Amino acid sequence: MKKGLIVLSALFVFAAGAASADAVKQTKGSFVDKFRQLDEVLPTPNVYRNAAGEPGHQYWQQKVDYKIKVALDEDKRRITATETIRYQNNSPDTLKYLWLQLDQNVFRNDSMAERSNAFAGIGRRGPLNVAASGNAPTKLSFAELRRQQFMQDNELGYVIGDVTGANGSALKFTIVGTLMRVDLATPLKPGANTSFNVNFAFNMVDENTVSARGGYEHFPDDTREGGNDIFLLAQWFPRLAAYTDYEAWTNKEFLGRGEFTLEFGNYDVEMTVPADHVVSSTGTLENASDVLTREQRNRLKEAETAERPVFIVTAEEALENEKEGTDDVKTWRFKAENVRDFAWASSRKFMWDAKGYKQDGNVQPFVMAMSFYPKEGGDLWKKYSTEAVVHTLEVYSRFSFDYPYPVSQSVNGPVGGMEYPMITFNGPRTKLQEDGSRTYSQAEKRFLIGVVIHEVGHNYFPMVVNSDERQWTWMDEGLNSYLDGVAGREWDPTIPWGVEPRDITGYMKSQDQTPIMTQSDSVWKLGPNAYTKPAAALNILRETIMGRELFDFAFKEYAQRWMFKRPTPSDFFRTMEEASGVDLDWFWRGWFYSTDHVDISLNSIHKLQLDTHDPDIDFARRRQEEADKPASLFDERNRAEGKRLWVELNPDVSDFYDTNDRFTVTNKERNKYQDFLKGLDAWERKALDRALEENKNYYILDFSNRGGLVMPIILELTFADGSVENMHIPAEIWRRTPDAVKKLIVTDKELTQVLVDPKWETADVDVENNYYPRRIIPSRIEVFKSPKSKAKVSRDIMQDIKTKVKEEETKD
Amino acid sequence: MLHKLMRAFGLFILITAGAFTVPAAAHQQKAAITKVLFNPRTGNIEVMHRFYMHDAEHAVRQIFGKDADIIGSAETQSVFADYVGERFALTSGETELPLSPVGFEIERVFFWVYQETPITEGISDLTIKHDALRDVWPQQINTVNIEGLDEIKTATFDGSVELKTIRIKE
Repeated sequence: MKKGLIVLSALFVFAAGAASADAVKQTKGSFVDKFRQLDEVLPTPNVYRNAAGEPGHQYWQQKVDYKIKVALDEDKRRITATETIRYQNNSPDTLKYLWLQLDQNVFRNDSMAERSNAFAGIGRRGPLNVAASGNAPTKLSFAELRRQQFMQDNELGYVIGDVTGANGSALKFTIVGTLMRVDLATPLKPGANTSFNVNFAFNMVDENTVSARGGYEHFPDDTREGGNDIFLLAQWFPRLAAYTDYEAWTNKEFLGRGEFTLEFGNYDVEMTVPADHVVSSTGTLENASDVLTREQRNRLKEAETAERPVFIVTAEEALENEKEGTDDVKTWRFKAENVRDFAWASSRKFMWDAKGYKQDGNVQPFVMAMSFYPKEGGDLWKKYSTEAVVHTLEVYSRFSFDYPYPVSQSVNGPVGGMEYPMITFNGPRTKLQEDGSRTYSQAEKRFLIGVVIHEVGHNYFPMVVNSDERQWTWMDEGLNSYLDGVAGREWDPTIPWGVEPRDITGYMKSQDQTPIMTQSDSVWKLGPNAYTKPAAALNILRETIMGRELFDFAFKEYAQRWMFKRPTPSDFFRTMEEASGVDLDWFWRGWFYSTDHVDISLNSIHKLQLDTHDPDIDFARRRQEEADKPASLFDERNRAEGKRLWVELNPDVSDFYDTNDRFTVTNKERNKYQDFLKGLDAWERKALDRALEENKNYYILDFSNRGGLVMPIILELTFADGSVENMHIPAEIWRRTPDAVKKLIVTDKELTQVLVDPKWETADVDVENNYYPRRIIPSRIEVFKSPKSKAKVSRDIMQDIKTKVKEEETKD
Repeated sequence: MLHKLMRAFGLFILITAGAFTVPAAAHQQKAAITKVLFNPRTGNIEVMHRFYMHDAEHAVRQIFGKDADIIGSAETQSVFADYVGERFALTSGETELPLSPVGFEIERVFFWVYQETPITEGISDLTIKHDALRDVWPQQINTVNIEGLDEIKTATFDGSVELKTIRIKE
């Protein structure tokens, strides 16, 4: 009793939770340890990747160099090439065979991707079909018919000619879907290297028909007879599959979605194309004097120090160029060092602009930013493409490392947005008006700037920080979506960029989702799963959990540790913790390994007062509390009916209890109080006296976790005097009772309102239960219908602007 | 089969006029979220569709032609809202619940379309159709959360799913 004075105990409620599949299981009760360290979930640290999330002291990766000679047959839209591959085995293992990726084989009619393509199935990259349902008929779209006809009419996939060793002798090879195993003449020992040659050819796909990541786009309306094409060459040569310490050969069949991981190496590529084509490619142009005019080379020099992009091929020159073709060919030669892939584009339609970017530093002091686009890209591209490339490099480098390559390019073709080392394919276009001019909408402008930032940003993740896209799409898309939001907001914050935590609540509270840590081909809703949710999670880590300083330090550390190396999710998780000193296992568990959502509810607040133990004070308080309760309705109505009470009618019959209620204090209580005071130690007496003197208000806030995901509780406390205070309770408050917690707030002031997550920074899905006392949160429709909202929609202003334009036109 | 194909052509002729590239890593999400709220305050089932502006922008140009402009043109916005309204339906038992258009608005990166219908007594299940944008690109996934009842129920429209029935009362 005596020491229970200010101990305000809470009832712990353990709610039922799903049984864990971990090796360690709670087998009594239903406690779920949301803060269990990830120990057995993460792979055991080893000499290749250590417990800090760093490359281990014996980290290794293979190195693969390519020499390729390729010819583009424009009329047949066919690629013919020979490649010489030098494979450096840095692994501790002896390799008897090598695996290559044959991505073009995904387009074969007998590919696993085609054959396993569920009719009208989920998430296919291709035209729409609809299966019969109820009274609705089965539907094939025109686009699907066109695709099927294209696949019938064109022989697609690689034709592999010879595979020969360095001495010219044939090597046995076995094609397994989108993969090819090449058996080496002699096993390749650790530290040794081998070279071999592959002859190959394939017919390109019509990108708009087949929905690939490259291919040709035909422009039938160009002045040239038969029109022109833009050719985008991606996944266009047999590439070595990665051999890794964590998965050995990453030879998982390409099904069309889960992208790639490859080995770093040097490339020397010669492409022979029609002489009037302009080629944009990974790498640096080695024979400018053979393929560019003196004028063009001068312009390139001028571009190095120009304030705004300089045209190497102007709009007028490109327009003139696309009017007729040639039978002549030219060979362009590009070299690239330390890249994990190689892509290029070729067309006589391209105009070409460039602007130097002085990055300074030791890594790559100068970078040339360039864009290639047809007239269909028009002014939109002239203004913004190359500038957006430079902006991306400036921002991303600050958060990771200096951009390590000599060029960065943005190419307009049929692909909406795709990334390769030093080169990106971006889709936005202008539209041709009847008067011959080209215009673009505000949305198209945002799309261009946004997609260029995003795709150029991919040069950092995963082109340099070489995560495995086929396994973990979020590792490049999630990190990159987070950073493109950072870069976008530094471009123009009035354009809505980035992912706000509130944007992801609808997805996170839905029943239909998979954890972020799901292999790419199995992810259900790729956009929210691999882009939006992880980007929102990183935003929350930065702004709410870790703070910008710690987050930015750890994120940069991750980027620099794994630059030109091959991280896995555990390396990211470990580095972020290890570099920041913040335990984040609960966060990874909740956001990346589970499908829980955030819904913290403030259920009640109880106001408490310290008992003084002085009966003359405490008993009076109890009496007042009793008096403050509403009177009995029964008694009230009796009185209203004029009923007289027995005691009122018989005042002469009374006793002690008519003048003393049950709160009457006697000396018995007073003596007990004195005994209590005497029994206190000096420090206890001091604490009590002070607490009584201060007479603070004690509030107990009762929270429940309805979404399952543990998060910090951020409170905005409003007091009777009008003042507002904020309080940040770390997520660790949930560690022993993840479903319900209480928090004591001691204050001089009187609390009138408490609001959880006032700035909407935790992705809490239900705002209504964040208020205490509750308040009605109108639905969007209710807000929309209210007159106040309509004034804000500004739709009239847009109309006014339009009206004005029309008046000007009539005056003309 | 021929009959089916012919009907299919009729349905699809608008949308296949322009081909569309599927970006591997672009900003289009091709994902919409709809909240179907049983709102006791208004006595209505309120339907709030949230589309990404990026998706809507590309969709309107495929559906309504290249001049369609979801940001600048009130007319395009209105036509798009009608398009969405026509492709969303709620049925209880055999009875289709008549959804009336409430309006539409742009909020940051989102385009919202609103519909509503009075809550009718004794609804025990809801059959939902949500085809919006699913006739434009096959990757479109529409997630519908039923809220305002005891627990959130979700219907996801992807792949070949055309109708989903959600039990809302036992």
